[in-house]
Amino acid sequence: MRLAVLTILCLALSGVAGVAAYFFPVVVAGVGQTGQTVVVPPVNILGVKTTPKPAASPGAPFTVLLLGSDDDGKNKSPLTQSMILVRVEPASKHVTMLSIPRDLWVPLSTGGSAKIDAAYAYGGASAAIATVERNFHVHIDEYAWVGLTGLIKLIDQLGGIDLFVTNPVLDDFYPDDIGGGDLYGYKRVAVLPGAQHLDGASALQYVRSRHNDVNGDFGRSARQQQVLLAIKAKASTLNAADLPDIVNALSGRFKTSMGLDRVRSLLSVASAFDLANVNQVVLYVPNFSSYGQISGQSVLLPHWSQILAVTRANFP
Amino acid sequence: MILRRLAALLFVPLMVAFGSGVYLYLGTLKSKVVKERPQLPTVTKPKFILPGTMFVVQDGRLFKLNAGSFTEIGRAGDWSQPALTPDHKRLVAVLRAGASSDLYLLDLNGQVVKRLTKDDSKILDANHWAYYPRVSPDGASLFYSFDSPKLRSNAPGVDLSVWSMPLNGAQSQARRWTDPYWYTGGDVSPIPLAGGAILYVRHSIDNSTAVHAQIFYQSRLLSVGKPLTSAADDCSQPALSPDGTQVAMVCSHGKQTASLEIAPFNGSALGPASVVLEGGLYASPAWSPDGKALAYLAPAGAAGHFQLWYLALPQPAPSPTATSSPSVAASPGSTPRPTPRPTPTPGPPAPVQVTQGVDLTATSPPAWF
Repeated sequence: MRLAVLTILCLALSGVAGVAAYFFPVVVAGVGQTGQTVVVPPVNILGVKTTPKPAASPGAPFTVLLLGSDDDGKNKSPLTQSMILVRVEPASKHVTMLSIPRDLWVPLSTGGSAKIDAAYAYGGASAAIATVERNFHVHIDEYAWVGLTGLIKLIDQLGGIDLFVTNPVLDDFYPDDIGGGDLYGYKRVAVLPGAQHLDGASALQYVRSRHNDVNGDFGRSARQQQVLLAIKAKASTLNAADLPDIVNALSGRFKTSMGLDRVRSLLSVASAFDLANVNQVVLYVPNFSSYGQISGQSVLLPHWSQILAVTRANFP
Repeated sequence: MILRRLAALLFVPLMVAFGSGVYLYLGTLKSKVVKERPQLPTVTKPKFILPGTMFVVQDGRLFKLNAGSFTEIGRAGDWSQPALTPDHKRLVAVLRAGASSDLYLLDLNGQVVKRLTKDDSKILDANHWAYYPRVSPDGASLFYSFDSPKLRSNAPGVDLSVWSMPLNGAQSQARRWTDPYWYTGGDVSPIPLAGGAILYVRHSIDNSTAVHAQIFYQSRLLSVGKPLTSAADDCSQPALSPDGTQVAMVCSHGKQTASLEIAPFNGSALGPASVVLEGGLYASPAWSPDGKALAYLAPAGAAGHFQLWYLALPQPAPSPTATSSPSVAASPGSTPRPTPRPTPTPGPPAPVQVTQGVDLTATSPPAWF
């Protein structure tokens, strides 16, 4: 009898050890890469005083600021190549995505004015959040940052993504800074039109190219949203046993303020909602901004009344 | 005491084995998208035997599908978009090498007969792309998309135009047919017609800055093209039926999914299109040699890699003898045939998945004869 109890106990212990070993990378990442503490400084920009909102209760709508940037070591403090505000409504499974143009000229939370892509470079995630909150009059509950190589690895880990490319994306001056190339060199890329399966590197070319797009950075923003949705479609088929591989792929290339609970609720929303429930917003010229030159830089000058009308409607 | 120590010693490997077993078992629970990787077509068995011979591409490799089995052809390289000559004795295909791509004339075993273009350069932006080769019905001319001229300004423009050159001539004899809408990627998928005109896909931008694809008809070099489809329909990837009376195309209607549509064609204009499939990621339709079916590429299952599909088309005047699986019966050396056959019954056509577990290049239309 004692031997039987002992045997069961030992097997249970070894089983738990097996489970723990399998999910060890997830636990490490959970501790190291999720739940990042962000302190948003109380700075008043544009005469707008924001008041901290209480943390959203489970199941309540929440807003995430997605940040994407180089992580190739070219800059110690990289600019963000992509800023997307995402509002998730778990109850209705409704998602709104708003791409913020990287060249938008705004007051930064860290002081002075610059293109909004510099906010993260000057003050990290907290500065990016504060700058977006105060200029766009929205409350951001969470942020998630992914490096470019992280995006490649994530998509490859998912076995690639499927999407419909509307028109040829050709670029003679695409940065050759991934995979040991010349950090400041260029290469030519061509993504042909039509439905297709893209691996991580091709998907990155698709979302990052901007030199031959009639819509410039706006076209790129629309492509970024499209790839996010394709990743979502693929991620909705994942299960818990996939997490260690995903976490290993993203190791060091992903940071988020979301705790594991919120990541879990985000995954459950991702697995349930469909494209019909996704509202995609890109702040195109000339309605939302106009082209200008400041200090020798090509910038976008925001039309705040139009922008704020959109953010009020979509990010209440 | 000794017995206890012996028992403890026995427990250690048992616990290690059980713990490892749990670890390995959890690994088997991974979802298909993470676990499954595509196979080479040559190690798979098509679920359905197509009539004739077809050339497809996977990961830069050319494959011939004949009598229900795949054979890899040609030398290694980043090959794509094989197109047959009208006599079905040669292929023209694209070989991409780094910053450029070139067109090659191949025999049906993939051996290079002739290099048709030379688009590489040591200067990065002096390289060129050549894609979408098609040989004219008389076999004399090669039509293709080529990124020349380029715009050199603060916003460098790289857009494809339709060009043609003599198939037996030199690239220096090439002539530009179309003037693309700059910064949209340009004009693609030329189809030379019997009378000397072409169909092609033109990309343009509307007042709301949305980019659209339209099928255009153009009668001669650099003349004004005529749109055959509306901008809102976003139709592309045209495929002309063997008798030249129908065009199959993929229309996305501004969405992220598409429909597969067929429209009658009188040589210069399209009639009303009928939707044969909708709500999917359909790509690269190709007509069967008898014009009674389509092959196309679309994802299958959660893993999402593109597979080859077959769609028997409803015939205008069906009769039992005229629609009795002629394509299947034409397959040489294919007995016994345990694979499913398309049922030529009235009603909506039912697509048949031909391949499984492969990852065919969806931007390379199958070449089928």
